[in-house]
Amino acid sequence: MSNTLESVVHKVDVREQPQVVGAFPGQPSMWFFIIGDLLIFGAYFIAYMAYRSQEPDVFLQSQQAMNQGVGAINTIVLLTSSLFVALGTEAVRAQKIRDSLRLFGLAMVFGALFPVLKIFEWLPKIEAGHTPGENLYLMFYYVMTGLHLFHVLLGLVILGFVMRNIKTAANPDVRFVETGAIYWHMVDLLWLVLFALFYLMR
Amino acid sequence: MGSYLNNRLTHVWAFLTAITVASWWIGQSRGATFQLDAMVTLTVLLMASVKAQLVIQYFMEVRSAPRWLKQTAYGWNIGLLLLLTGVYWLG
Amino acid sequence: MSDSVSVDAPGIKAPGIKASSGVRQGEPWYKNKKLDQYLCFWSVPIFYTLFGLVFVPLSWMMPPRSPDSSMAEIVAFMQSENLLFACVILILSVGLAAVGNAVYMTQMRRMTVSPAFRFAFMAGSITGPVVGCLFPMFCFGLGAFRPDYDPEILAMLYDFGYLSFIGCLGCFCLMWSMLGLSILLDKNNILPKWLGYYTVWQFVTELFAATVWIAKTGPFAWDGLLAFWFNMVLYVPWQIIVYFYIYKAIQNQPEHELPNVLPVKAQPMLQGNAL
Repeated sequence: MSNTLESVVHKVDVREQPQVVGAFPGQPSMWFFIIGDLLIFGAYFIAYMAYRSQEPDVFLQSQQAMNQGVGAINTIVLLTSSLFVALGTEAVRAQKIRDSLRLFGLAMVFGALFPVLKIFEWLPKIEAGHTPGENLYLMFYYVMTGLHLFHVLLGLVILGFVMRNIKTAANPDVRFVETGAIYWHMVDLLWLVLFALFYLMR
Repeated sequence: MGSYLNNRLTHVWAFLTAITVASWWIGQSRGATFQLDAMVTLTVLLMASVKAQLVIQYFMEVRSAPRWLKQTAYGWNIGLLLLLTGVYWLG
Repeated sequence: MSDSVSVDAPGIKAPGIKASSGVRQGEPWYKNKKLDQYLCFWSVPIFYTLFGLVFVPLSWMMPPRSPDSSMAEIVAFMQSENLLFACVILILSVGLAAVGNAVYMTQMRRMTVSPAFRFAFMAGSITGPVVGCLFPMFCFGLGAFRPDYDPEILAMLYDFGYLSFIGCLGCFCLMWSMLGLSILLDKNNILPKWLGYYTVWQFVTELFAATVWIAKTGPFAWDGLLAFWFNMVLYVPWQIIVYFYIYKAIQNQPEHELPNVLPVKAQPMLQGNAL
């Protein structure tokens, strides 16, 4: 009886870990970076919307040639990767080192799938002659998704460092793990907006 | 692994995935030529904003962060939605 | 890879040194051990003033003219006589950029990063101004030098000048990425970490300049909102802030870390790694 109670308490404990009010996930300098990055991307998003309204037909026509399905799969891939990172962070806090390594490993597998999918999305487009020079929509599309892809690749490197820290340090640096995690979630967050703007909206 | 399936984060993920599939369904062409459609645009932008809010709150753990960070992060999301729809409206 | 070996032998550290300014009590300013760094530092505002003079009131090259200007506009611009003065000032003063960049490298040596960062920084700081500063002014100066050039040739030089000025940012991107990564990896906290992140935005947005080779109008052209103006909004405050913190870093540098204070024997870094 007491055994099950203990496991319940433990479970609740793991789930409620991040709920300490006023706790600060990750390093403050990373939040500085994230907020600035969100503002920079935000400015680009609004510029896209403004230029789009000047020649909506061009944008709509090029957008129709996009593969909405691939966009949705990309979104789900990044969301899933983000979930594993979030669960992995909780596992590190709960000192479940083996679990956390497995979870971060899965996160990296899904994260690495994203660039592969992007290449399979870009290459046929470029082969069909839909290059950035064709029109403003495609220029925005390649520049913005390219910039985002750069963030994804950087995020994979950061996740690698996080895993190395968990694996090699006697006591994993929770702050550092959180810092890598919030960066990865930001990459996910930006894609959610990109998906709506470049694939879905009319 | 059960504790991970029955985790709040996993529930949030399931919800996010469901919204993604729904927004994909809304955004499909269904053989018609794409045309300006404020209803579709507003819906998918709103859905993206809800997803962004959930990612900020639960994955980035901003819901337990200090107040200024909460205000900044939520403010970014709401501000972006308002500006994007505003620019769309004017255009 | 710490190459900023701090020599802390008690006999070497002279008494009565104010660590913050480098001035020994009772000694004149020209014996300041950080004079070299301060001179490099103050060359920067002089350089930027001359640079501004060349590219704004003398040539009116900045703010950038449109890539699809008419032939008459291009010819009028390329033959304006002030361009020759601009060229003269630029070729005489461009060397100051090297002096100004020395101040970064002196502080980067104190960071706990591989010397490779400094070497790459230096390579970027050489190639960047050559392509981005000298090439454009040479192109524009040519028009004023011999006014009877064919307008077609002037139009090509106009493109060449602007594309090298704004399309060269890859070299600067390399240079600033080396600085940014050094700040972030440095364990001595010579410059604040958030400044490292600001540097990352700065050099990543510079990559947008690649679009000027493709777009001739609109936001991604060389006079465009995103390829040029947005970068400027990020770059100008960044440059000022970076110099402010470099100045503070020079002030905070302890005198026993200065290579020009110690006798050669006491400087292990001079034996293998003199740069």
